[in-house]
Amino acid sequence: MTTSLIQEKFASIRKGLLEFLILKIIASDKVYVADMLRRLSTTEFATQEGTLYPLLSKMRREGAVDYEWQESDAGPPRKYYKLTARGKSQLDELTDYWAYINQTLDNLGLGQG
Amino acid sequence: MQKVITINLNGNAYQLDEQGYEVLRAYLADAEAQLSGNPDASEIIRDLEQSIAEKCLRLLGPGKTVVTPAEITQILREIGPVETTGNGSHPTPSAAAPAPKRVYQIREGAMVSGVANGFAAYFNIDPTIVRVAFVVAAVVEMTEYDRPPVLAIGLYLLLVFLVPYAKTSEERAAAQGASAGLPYKLQNAVEKVKAKFDGLHHKAH
Repeated sequence: MTTSLIQEKFASIRKGLLEFLILKIIASDKVYVADMLRRLSTTEFATQEGTLYPLLSKMRREGAVDYEWQESDAGPPRKYYKLTARGKSQLDELTDYWAYINQTLDNLGLGQG
Repeated sequence: MQKVITINLNGNAYQLDEQGYEVLRAYLADAEAQLSGNPDASEIIRDLEQSIAEKCLRLLGPGKTVVTPAEITQILREIGPVETTGNGSHPTPSAAAPAPKRVYQIREGAMVSGVANGFAAYFNIDPTIVRVAFVVAAVVEMTEYDRPPVLAIGLYLLLVFLVPYAKTSEERAAAQGASAGLPYKLQNAVEKVKAKFDGLHHKAH
């Protein structure tokens, strides 16, 4: 349902929200990159490894996530990501702010701004 | 007959023909360019290589040992180009950078044409210093070289001719400029002078 209008007006917002969504996904479960891609693939935020790897490495550098190597049934070991304490607090802060933005959007135009 | 190239992706060997190899090589070169300056560049490249390797592995079996160019192209399309988010280690300077400072002639408060005034604004110094420098250059030329100050005055006239006037308020603001951006008007002017000089030089021969 991504029209060209949405593409034009919301491209940078959707891009900017990706980090927030990744925090959410990692918070819910211990995941590796293919899991994240799969979960996002059916949403408005479908993305690719080429975008995700640099983002995850930045988040790790900022201390929000960490990974550990884990053997897989098929193929080579995989990096499983998890949130650090800092990542959890980032997620809480962003979630609160997101709720606040939504509230603003709902209230705007109703006469009390 | 196609030549087959064996590559090593994260410790596993795969076979590509020449065309497929070229596609993969170009992709990885581009990824590295995108990640230049990123402290985790080599780790990200390793992650990408492993991902490519896993996808190759899925395509190969007992009767199939070579990944075709079409297959590697499809794999790389799935993975997508390496994109950095911009707010990390890979800053995109253009967006936030203030307008570049430029050299203009400024009429307001000018003694002759506003050249000294403009350069003074550019370097954020007193215009008198620039004027004195011109006069000193002229005097040195006269005393040291025993000739009329053709170079000093010639240079001044050239600048009058080449450096644009700050006509609009935006241009006056750019002349004062808060940033130490690229002085490309100056650079332009220098290049024009050089070009003219070269022209003269050629004519002289």
